[in-house]
Amino acid sequence: MDPDKCTGCGTCLEVCPIRYEVQLPPEEEAKARAAYAEATEEEAVADIIARHRDEPGNLLPILLDINRHFNWLPRPALEHVAGDLGMPLTEILRVASFYNAFSLVPRGKHIINVCLGTGCFVKGSPRLLEGLERKLGIAHGQTTDDMLFTLEVVRCIGCCALAPALRIDDATFGRVTPGQVGKIIDSYTKAAGQ
Amino acid sequence: MKISSLTQLMAVKEKGLAQTYPNKIKLMVGLATCGISAGADEVYRCLSQKLAEAGLDVVLAKTGCIGFCQKEPLVDVVYPGKVRLTYQSMTPEKAAELVSSLKDRRIMDDNLLCRIDQDEFLVEGVVRPYANPHPPALPAQVPRYNELPFFNKQVKISLRNCGFINPESIEEYIGRGGYRALHKAVTMLTPEEVIEQIKASKLRGRGGAGFPTGLKWEFARKAEGDIKYLICNADEGDPGAFMDRGILEGDPHAVLEGMAIGAYAIGASVGYIYCRAEYPLAIERLKIAISQAEAYGLLGENIFGAPFSFKLKIREGAGAFVCGEETSLIASIEGKVGEPRPRPPFPAQSGLWGKPTVINNVKTWSHIAPIIARGPEWYANYGQGESKGTTVFSLVGKINNSGLVEVPLGISLREMIYDVGGGIAKGREFKAVQTGGPSGGCIPAQYLDTPVDYESLAALGSIMGSGGMIVMDEADCMVNVAKYFLEFTMDESCGKCTPCREGTMRLMQMLDAITAGRGQEGDLEKLEKMSRLIKKTSLCGLGATAPNPVLTTLKYFRDEYVAHIRDKKCPAKVCKELITFSVVADNCTGCQLCRLRCPAEAIAGAKKEVHRIIQDKCIKCGTCYDACKFDAIAVE
Repeated sequence: MDPDKCTGCGTCLEVCPIRYEVQLPPEEEAKARAAYAEATEEEAVADIIARHRDEPGNLLPILLDINRHFNWLPRPALEHVAGDLGMPLTEILRVASFYNAFSLVPRGKHIINVCLGTGCFVKGSPRLLEGLERKLGIAHGQTTDDMLFTLEVVRCIGCCALAPALRIDDATFGRVTPGQVGKIIDSYTKAAGQ
Repeated sequence: MKISSLTQLMAVKEKGLAQTYPNKIKLMVGLATCGISAGADEVYRCLSQKLAEAGLDVVLAKTGCIGFCQKEPLVDVVYPGKVRLTYQSMTPEKAAELVSSLKDRRIMDDNLLCRIDQDEFLVEGVVRPYANPHPPALPAQVPRYNELPFFNKQVKISLRNCGFINPESIEEYIGRGGYRALHKAVTMLTPEEVIEQIKASKLRGRGGAGFPTGLKWEFARKAEGDIKYLICNADEGDPGAFMDRGILEGDPHAVLEGMAIGAYAIGASVGYIYCRAEYPLAIERLKIAISQAEAYGLLGENIFGAPFSFKLKIREGAGAFVCGEETSLIASIEGKVGEPRPRPPFPAQSGLWGKPTVINNVKTWSHIAPIIARGPEWYANYGQGESKGTTVFSLVGKINNSGLVEVPLGISLREMIYDVGGGIAKGREFKAVQTGGPSGGCIPAQYLDTPVDYESLAALGSIMGSGGMIVMDEADCMVNVAKYFLEFTMDESCGKCTPCREGTMRLMQMLDAITAGRGQEGDLEKLEKMSRLIKKTSLCGLGATAPNPVLTTLKYFRDEYVAHIRDKKCPAKVCKELITFSVVADNCTGCQLCRLRCPAEAIAGAKKEVHRIIQDKCIKCGTCYDACKFDAIAVE
């Protein structure tokens, strides 16, 4: 599949005669499997599935909980869900790749979300994003090599009156200036080093 | 304890009132997401610590956002039997000072925003003065709450309790008349009468499209089916809008009560609240609210002893804008990919799991209880023409007073921006106001006297939308703004139908070229043609409205597009490819500030000598411009 051309429309999945699985690029596939093996968390996944088993339309809540638990969706966990719910893995991957909240590759310990809502946009949040990209040496959507930070953008966290805003994990920062960005990151790096 | 009669409800009300208005001084900290991001939790911690140290017998409580986010963190001091004082822009230091002033029995003058002399219990139509008979005189000249321009044109129906109660206490909600309307509906009105009242109030869906709510309920009531569902759309995806967050974090029971009344009216026994995952605090407070309502029997089996049962569940979104569209939202609750489907059939006929479903927005639900309690005539007094009642806007952007405001429909844009909003920040010129999120449009200065209602905004090519109102000034490039919205809709297009998936990408490519100085004659006509095509042929509202930002900016700010294409200039000096930064030699003092701050090492110059920008290295980030204190950086 040519990733540059793929629009994620899902038509190929619907028409595929053998219901083949969505493929990750080989290097990401390897990374995905390796990371799950380290954290033998099968029980956690089983618990999550059990919690939502009897609800109709439980796939999304299950995936959200798995995503929260691991910070991403490990492939074996998805296979586990597929087996348990008796649902084709294809369908699960399609849902997982449709929603922005899910990640099919491992993410860093801290997830930075720069708000690009309109309020933040007109108050200069693109410059915060540029500053963070320079500081961390990654583009948005990527994770630093030390697996400490993943830089993402979010379309509005509802802090418009305190724009520009960014969120790191559960902490929200309002009225951030490009000058403060470095200091905020340093405080997290320092905390991780201790 | 289950509440099954009015007497029991009144007993809880007394308890709630005692909690809201204790016989000692009470401090309230606005702890919604906006307050927290401004540092309110630190202020709360500091107050709690200092109060303990000082050994003061004072109640410290949480509350939601009163709407004036600009002035956050806000701390209120309620003197029992006297007055309530609101302090703005609080810091831990000021919090410590406040505690010591309380200890010395004096009133802190600093940071005082306003005084509140009375509390309105909207649902009961009662005004409760803090002091009898006269509020005390204060040493400093402090404006009253309703004298502040930000508040005096507001009529708070949706936001009736936000900033007045602890959102995590059902007793305080009941104290201010909560669940009275549910009692009235369930025990005194038939479902048809409830629907009649909502119809008579002329309430229209506050999610944006403005469909008459009562009519929607009637369709669902009359639809065939043993099981019916009710949904609250709290997937507030419009960037620049946070009304739903404000309500859910400040007064979640207002939504729960509205939904319970709706469920009674249409005959639903299960409801869902679909809330976006980006609002963790709103979800947490909803969960608390639901379990409290269940504990009192206000949700669950045989509510108020009547043969009516209603259960509520929360569903979290997973970050897809298109799920704000009702058919996508329903698909998402069903656990599927959130893709829209053609209507009809409308959800009122065939919605969640193929059953008749009523889906309304958070704001719509929060209007229901007051309408039932006070009557449709009272509600229809507000607003004008076909747009009755009030609605909540999030007033943000380049404006002095940003925050959540609730105004009667029909107020003019000028009143919103210049009176409530206090005008444009930094003394700049107003350029445009953007309403309706990515589906809306940009309205220029010549239409500032337009009334804010569904029809008038649509006539200008924008929409009322869910209530985001983003003010832009002369420093905003309208081509760039159009590009911003298009990038958003392009990203969020689910990809199901071709006009939206491919069309928005084509528009984006053209706008990219224009902002990069590669625009050509004839591009504007192409943009218009493509936009009209996308509007006509897209499957759902996302595609059908995606070109609106392009069309309105083309209509009202065409000269800006022309400047980008013909002169290769960005008049607002925003588009990076079309601007250069340089040092104004006469103003430069050689202070080195810009050189040290420049992230690209693109500034050369020794101390006390005029600096120079190395254009090849310059990444046009604007850091030097912000850093310079002497106006010595020019943007051309």
